[in-house]
Amino acid sequence: MTTTTVIRTEGVGKTYSTAGDEVIALDGISLEVREGEITSLLGSSGCGKSTFLNVLAGLITPTVGTIEIAGQPPKPRRQVGMMFQRSLLFPWRTVIENVLLPAEVMDLAMDESRARASELLALVGLDGWESRYPWELSGGMQQRVALARVLLPDPDLLLLDEPFGALDEMTRETLDLELTRIASLTRKTVVLVTHSVYEAVMISDRVFVFTPRPGRLSGIVDVPFGRPRDLETSGTAQFAEKVSEVRRLMVETDR
Amino acid sequence: MTLTDQSTTETAPTGADRVSWRRFRGPIGAAVIFLALLGFWVWLVESETVHRVILPPPGEVASAFLTTFTEGFFYEHLWVTVQEVLLGFAIGVALGFSLGALLGASALAREVSYAYIVAFQGLPKIVLAPVFITAFGFGMMSKVVMAVAISFFPLLINTMSGLMTVDPEAVQLMRSLTASKRDIFWKLSVKHAMPSIFAGVKTSLTFALVGAIVGEFVGARAGLGFLLASYSYQLQVDRVWAITFVLALLGIILYLLIEWVDKKVVFWGKRGSSIDIGM
Repeated sequence: MTTTTVIRTEGVGKTYSTAGDEVIALDGISLEVREGEITSLLGSSGCGKSTFLNVLAGLITPTVGTIEIAGQPPKPRRQVGMMFQRSLLFPWRTVIENVLLPAEVMDLAMDESRARASELLALVGLDGWESRYPWELSGGMQQRVALARVLLPDPDLLLLDEPFGALDEMTRETLDLELTRIASLTRKTVVLVTHSVYEAVMISDRVFVFTPRPGRLSGIVDVPFGRPRDLETSGTAQFAEKVSEVRRLMVETDR
Repeated sequence: MTLTDQSTTETAPTGADRVSWRRFRGPIGAAVIFLALLGFWVWLVESETVHRVILPPPGEVASAFLTTFTEGFFYEHLWVTVQEVLLGFAIGVALGFSLGALLGASALAREVSYAYIVAFQGLPKIVLAPVFITAFGFGMMSKVVMAVAISFFPLLINTMSGLMTVDPEAVQLMRSLTASKRDIFWKLSVKHAMPSIFAGVKTSLTFALVGAIVGEFVGARAGLGFLLASYSYQLQVDRVWAITFVLALLGIILYLLIEWVDKKVVFWGKRGSSIDIGM
């Protein structure tokens, strides 16, 4: 099996100028993500990891550098799905209507999409909730709906901006494991932004460590545990070693 | 609960009593105030504090009110006013929404028109009535224009402010889904602004009624405002009060109607453009 590169960035930088002041949000980010990989962008807040994800999604234009997403310049497209920290479900739409939003916007065949939406809701454990409204759901369930929504157009690449960051730790752990299960099952390439070392090591094949002011890539850590992972994985000595390796990288570069 | 029941069985109200009192205290209170106002009205007339020519006793007004509904020409006037109000309201809402959408979407449009909006907001729009009568005549047209002139404004403001509070991250979500500007506007922004827009619609409807009646006062050949003014000139004060109550009734019916539509359309109420979790 040959692995192709899905994301390739070269010297990506982003500078904001506000009131004569120049703020460097991102500086010289060069990295590659291979097909089917689950990767994390890890760093403390203000390190530009979210900005970088938005650049990959084509929602923010970088000041310098080149980016290729599957060989093409970044822009919003069906093959790339983005998920946010907040579920951003629309309260005027039922659960299934929210999941079908991409189909409407992208003009996909409605009958197929409806069937697929039901399958995806079952996949995220929400069958039977189709005609409920978002406000009737817990925060974790709302993010499950958002996950089904991002999966609806069957994107190859998932860009996830701290998708479970606002949830309690138990829910986040469960959803992290489900995310990796679903990503493996459907062979997605995943880039996840997080500030949790544990979360990054738990779900990733590789961790990109960012440092703040200016946002730079300070190191890449391979996490050679196979999938599927479970809570047992996090109890092993190798796991603890990886966590401290990543943490060291963050602390060193923080100074 | 059981403890209090045992110790004060004779005096303490039971739970069921308390619940029914909570349910009926509003209507009971309202009825008490109604009777008090009616009593005050009778006292004002009987004690000759207010002359009968200005305020007839409730009985006379009530019978004038009922007589009004037996007269054929009343319905012609009612129909004229209802048409003016609904037409003015419809045009006002369409105009207010369109302009509000334009201003909500374009910063340039807001900057250019800001001074005019403030000026128009400050203007007591009733002063436009004589101008409209001169320009559009004594028929329904001038009243419709008047109703439009004062009813479009609340909708403009509410549409604009509703559109401007759209969650930027929800817009990013739509963009990431390759949504066109049109899709973002109709599937996100307008929906998000709906609660605000409908608050404006309610005000607009009330204003449309005011506009039509003011227009009829200033110069008309038909309509409830015209009828009221005519009765006033003829010193048929019981009839004046009867029409006043008809207008109040009309206003209430229109308001309840729009509130019913509001509940159907904006069923998600104040739940915002998106559900926040733990933030």
